[in-house]
Order: sequence, then C-alpha cells, then structure tokens
Amino acid sequence: MINSLIFNKDLITRYDTLGPRYTSYPTAVQFDESFCHDNYVEIARSTNEEPVPKQLSLYFHLPFCDTVCYYCACNKIITKNRAHAAPYLQLLYEEIKLQSSLYDRDRIVEQLHWGGGTPTFISHAQMSDLMRHTRDAFSLRNDDRGEYSIELDPREADADTIALLRSLGFNRVSLGVQDFDPEVQKAVNRIQSIAETRAVIEAARKHAFKSVHIDLIYGLPKQTVESFARTLQKVIELGPDRISVFNYAHMPRRFKTQKQINKADLPAPTEKLNILQHVINYLTQEGYTYIGMDHFARPDDELALAQKQGTLTRNFQGYSTHANCDIIGMGISAISKVGDCYSQNVYEIGEYEKLVTAGRIPVFRGLKLDGDDLLRRDVITQLICHFNLEFEQIETRHRINFNDYFYNEISILKGMERDGLLSIDAERIRVSPAGCLLVRNICAVFDKYLRQTQAEQTFSRTI
Amino acid sequence: MSSTHQIFDISKFKVSCGNCSLVELCLPWGLKVDDLNELEKIIKRVRPLQRGDYLFHTGDKFQQLYAVRSGAIKAYRTTEEGNEQILGFYLPGELLGLDAIDTEKHVCTTVALETSSFCAVPFTRLEELCQQIPGLQHQIYRLMSRELSSENQSLLLLGKKSAEEKIATFLVNLSSRLHVLGYSSTEFRLPMSRQEIGNYLGLTVETVSRIFSRLQKDKLIVIDRKLIKIVNEHGIRCMCTGNKESSSKSRSATGH
Ligand SMILES: C[S@@+](CC[C@H](N)C(=O)[O-])C[C@H]1O[C@@H](n2cnc3c(N)ncnc32)[C@H](O)[C@@H]1O
Ligand code: SF4
Repeated sequence: MINSLIFNKDLITRYDTLGPRYTSYPTAVQFDESFCHDNYVEIARSTNEEPVPKQLSLYFHLPFCDTVCYYCACNKIITKNRAHAAPYLQLLYEEIKLQSSLYDRDRIVEQLHWGGGTPTFISHAQMSDLMRHTRDAFSLRNDDRGEYSIELDPREADADTIALLRSLGFNRVSLGVQDFDPEVQKAVNRIQSIAETRAVIEAARKHAFKSVHIDLIYGLPKQTVESFARTLQKVIELGPDRISVFNYAHMPRRFKTQKQINKADLPAPTEKLNILQHVINYLTQEGYTYIGMDHFARPDDELALAQKQGTLTRNFQGYSTHANCDIIGMGISAISKVGDCYSQNVYEIGEYEKLVTAGRIPVFRGLKLDGDDLLRRDVITQLICHFNLEFEQIETRHRINFNDYFYNEISILKGMERDGLLSIDAERIRVSPAGCLLVRNICAVFDKYLRQTQAEQTFSRTI
Repeated sequence: MSSTHQIFDISKFKVSCGNCSLVELCLPWGLKVDDLNELEKIIKRVRPLQRGDYLFHTGDKFQQLYAVRSGAIKAYRTTEEGNEQILGFYLPGELLGLDAIDTEKHVCTTVALETSSFCAVPFTRLEELCQQIPGLQHQIYRLMSRELSSENQSLLLLGKKSAEEKIATFLVNLSSRLHVLGYSSTEFRLPMSRQEIGNYLGLTVETVSRIFSRLQKDKLIVIDRKLIKIVNEHGIRCMCTGNKESSSKSRSATGH
C-alpha cells in the first residue's frame, strides 16, 4: 500500500497534543530502576535457550561532538579534546566483552549501528579498533547482507572516512543536515556547506553504500516556508534514498543548550504547519513514499518494500526492516531490547566506568513487559508501521477478543472516526489519509501509561 | 488467618490424592477409597524446587519415589569425560526413582527446569502397603511398565536417522504427553533449552535451531521464543517416520 497523505490543518491543530514517538512501548519513562544487572543477565542468557534464538542487533553509543548544535536533544558530550575518546573506548571494549559473553556465538549480527553524538569524532584507527573488538566478540556477517549503519556528521567526515567505513563493513549511512539555510545554520550554531555534504554522499555512492539517509529538522529558528523549500530542493538534488524530517520541540528546561535559541526566532505554529505541509507535498511530488511519522523513502528503498510486505517494524532509530532481533545497546545511555525486556545503560561516564570495570553490565533501569504490554506494543507497532490493524491477527497472537479487551479504547477511536482520522469496523482499524500524520495520537489511545505521564508533560508535541 | 508468623510447612500438608488432577496417571489409580486413604497417609508433599534446584544426585541413597505434580524435570548422568548426558525429561504425573530400586542408589541426577512440585512416597512403606493392597502392587507394575516402554520410545527416537525425524518425534512425544495431562497438545512452552534438546537427541545446537526454523518455514509449527504452536499436526506426524512426501503433500493441501 502506498500511503496517500492528506494534510488537514484543522485536524492537526485540534489534535496537537503531547505524545511519545513510540520508538519503544512502554516508553522509557516507564523504565524502572529496580531492574538491574542480574535481571538483564538472566534474560540475556535465557534468549540463548530458545529453539531458534533471535539474531542480534548491536547499537554503539559514541557520545562526543566537537561543537554543540543548540537544538540538539541527543545524549552527547561536547568537547574539543579528542583525547577524551580513548578512555571511553577502552570502557566500551570492556562492555563489548561482558555483553558478548552472555550470547551464544551462533547468533549472527544482522544489524549494527553506531549512533551519537558524532560517531566519526573518533580517529580512523579507533574506528578500526572498535570494529575489530566487535568482530572478535560477536559473529558479524562477512557477506555484506547485514544492515550495518552509521550516523555521520558531514563536517566530521571526508571521502577517506567513507572508504574506511565501507571497508569496516558499513553499508548504510545516515547524514545530519538539518537545514542548508545560512541564517538557520547560524541560529543553531551548525555551519555546514552543501559542498562538504555532497562530497560525503558522492563518496558513499562511489563505495556502493546501499542506502543514504538525510536528517532534516523543521521548526528551527529563522525557518520559513520559502527557506525550507530551498533546503528541500538542494536535498533532493543530492538524491538520498531516505529522508527524515524531524519536528523540533523547544524544551530549553530539559535540553539546556536550547536556551541559546531565541524563542522569538522560532516559526509561529501556523508557519510551522505550512512548512510541514510543503514538506509533504514536495517530497511526495518528488516521488518519495511516506513511510510514517517523520520518514520518507524512495519506493524501491528497503523500508518502503518492508512496509509493502508488512514486515516493517519500529526501533530506537526509527523504522527498521529487522523485526526479529534481540537488540543490545552498548555505551552510555544505550537502550537494549532483549527477550521481553527493555533496559538502559547509565548516562554518566563516571558511573559507566565504575560498573564496567567491576564487571557489571552497566544497566540502571529497565522493564520486563507483561502480557498486556506485549499486546499493546504489538497493536501500536502495527498501526505506526502499517496504518492498518487486523483484529484477527492480534487475537490469534495474544489469545484475546479485540472488541472486548479494548472496549474503552474503541469508544475513543469512534470519536476519532467521526473526526475522519480513521475508520473502524468489526474486523480492522484503518488510518485514513488525513489521520496518517496523527498516527501518534491514535497509538496513544492504546498506551495505558500515558494518562499518568501526560500530566508531567515530558513529551514533545506530535506535529 | 489467625497467626501470620507461623511458617508454612508444606510437608505437614495432608496429601489428598482423590482431589489431585493427576490421579489417573499416578499411583492411586484404581484403588478403593479405604486403600486410597492408607496410601495418602504415607505420601508426603515436598518443598517445591526452583529452576536449577536438584531433587537427587547420582549415588544418593534411594529412599523414596517422587511423583511430579507440576513443572518439568531433567534427568542426566555425568559421563567419564565429565560431560552431562541427558536421559530424559519428566512431566507431571510421571514417577522418578523407579530405576534405583535395584541398586538402592540413584543412577541419575535430577534437576528442575522450572518451578516444580512433587509428592514423595517412602519406598519401604510403599512395599509394606503393597502386601495389604493388591491393587497397589498392580499399579506399580503398570507404572514400571510405562517407564520401560517410554525408555523404548526414546531408544527408538535416538535411533532415528535424520535430525528432522528426531525433532519431529520429540515434539509429537511432548505434545501427546501434555495432551494426557489435559493441556493443549498443539500449543506449549518448551521447558528445556535448545542445548538440552540437542544433548538429549545427540544433535548440535546449530542443527536443533536449523531444523526448528525449517519446520517453521515449512509452516508445520510457529515459534515465538520458547512457545511452540503446531499448525500442521498431520505434517509433523508424517515427518516422524521420515515420510516427507506426505508431509509436503499436506502442506500443499493447506495452500502453501
Ligand atoms: C543523534 S543525532 C546524531 C547526528 C549527528 N551527530 C549529526 O549531527 O550529524 C540524530 C538526529 O537527531 C535529530 N535531532 C537532534 N536533536 C533534535 C531535536 N531537538 N528535535 C528534532 N530532531 C533532533 C537530528 O536531525 C540529528 O541528525
Ligand atoms: S546534532 Fe549531532 S553534532 Fe550536533 S550536537 Fe547533536 S549529536 Fe552533536
């Protein structure tokens, strides 16, 4: 199904509430600090016992950045001192050893991701070392058929970096661009030329990377419909396979560096909506498929294909084609999804060092999902990935009667149906073209924890 | 509850075989009510075991038989090279220790795969009781015979040629034992690990996983972590005898 999208300003304004992005369900807010090392170890080991253990997905968090981008909500460490990387990497190697001892060697690493921060902050020699340690400890694929990706800041990478990364086994790359407009770039303290971005993409093409992804943000200071239209045009000329257009949420109390952004420079809500409308019209007109949330992809990109085949899933990086992996997150703040659990590493390097050198998996919180959580996660994943939910599928997988179990939720959805977000009958929920942009709101109906957290206002606005 | 400080002693708990759902599979089957009462008097409920706890070790003095009430048990012997060789898995309603009557020493080690509970039957008292209750003697013979025949079954299983036949037979065997217990025969959780299945069947773990995923790909079973759903019962039965043709025929019959 190619998702047709309708931009309905009325509806969007009405449903503009706070809501999670559902890169996990339950969301990280629900993670509990009583979940510790021992819980994680037991669960990790037990996944080896399954008749067909899931393949592995490895995430490495490389937190360092040379300069700060004011908008940034990622977990990062700003430093000019490159020497900071070495001791962190030593600890990361320790964690790799600890983690890998928990998993059987016949479990193939289908998916691997370096995220940040800026993963390419580290030197070429360090990149090779990190990959070597990973290869020694886990069974990486050697046939280039895994999904091995890296977040790349074009200001911190050149053609040599790209060549090296390819030789290390990476085959997908995700570039931070955000906006090409000089005024916007100045306002967010991220000066990045088109030329350096193009050089990186050309190198990626030359070295046969299978997918090139560009990150943009709308709602940044000094942005207008016209300025962002120019950025989009330049982005299209670069020909990425996927484009994410994230929504900037201004929450300076939570993300301190956002205080550097002058609130008066932010586009007004209507302007912001107009930008979004233009993004959707322009990208679809240029032949990109709307995947969902903030993601667009070329129709022949594997995300679009996975969506067509009904195998698309959601993970911490957004959408993914590998539904069936146990995810091991390594490095500070990294999140793992192993067995029926989520767990998260400590945020702080000092803490991390203390735990890792004591031989402990540096987990500080997590959650074991119960049957209800698993059921709701399944529902939310279906909706957010496929805009369609067949009750029968859920009923056979979870042994419930959908209409009985979700009696209250369905009555709320009926209201959304009257508003034109979706259609619901005895067998399925179908998100309408006008509801696609509000799929977070629809998912939120099934989020049993939301009511208590909503009061705390910890989430960003949905649009 | 009058006293909250009293420690709950499970062994003082009066056993009531009459109310036990396993009565048909266990010692009391066919006994008259009076005889049943006598038997209940000698049976003790023992403290439940957690996953990884041992029931008895090889070489322990044999004193009582154990009837599994709930859970799952693995029985193994340690080889001369120090490796574990799994002899079998025990489910509720099955008796442990029958193989020790001869030498009066346990000849295998038993460990709980999940939380498990048991009834213990002191063997000398059981023998005495058999003098008084002829039906009980007969029931013991029956249970021994059942044990022998299941031993034969596992010899047949291990003698199978292909790994596929072994695993299909293993699943069918588990399924029918669960069925007798009144559980679903088509949907069950494997209490043992793939390593243990491999050890028992003489297959490597890689082979075990390869065969399980093939059975899933061929739409005979659906696997969700340790949960197994048999979706083509006929197909998997055919596979036990290495009869692939009819299993693939039934596959095409279901439209795949
Ligand atoms: C973890 S960052 C790492 C990317 C890399 N360091 C770079 O800047 O090129 C991944 C993406 O998150 C997005 N992002 C960061 N902060 C954001 C915010 N406050 N609102 C929306 N998107 C944000 C940006 O698009 C960024 O490219
Ligand atoms: S956007 Fe990227 S480079 Fe900028 S601060 Fe965030 S992580 Fe660092």
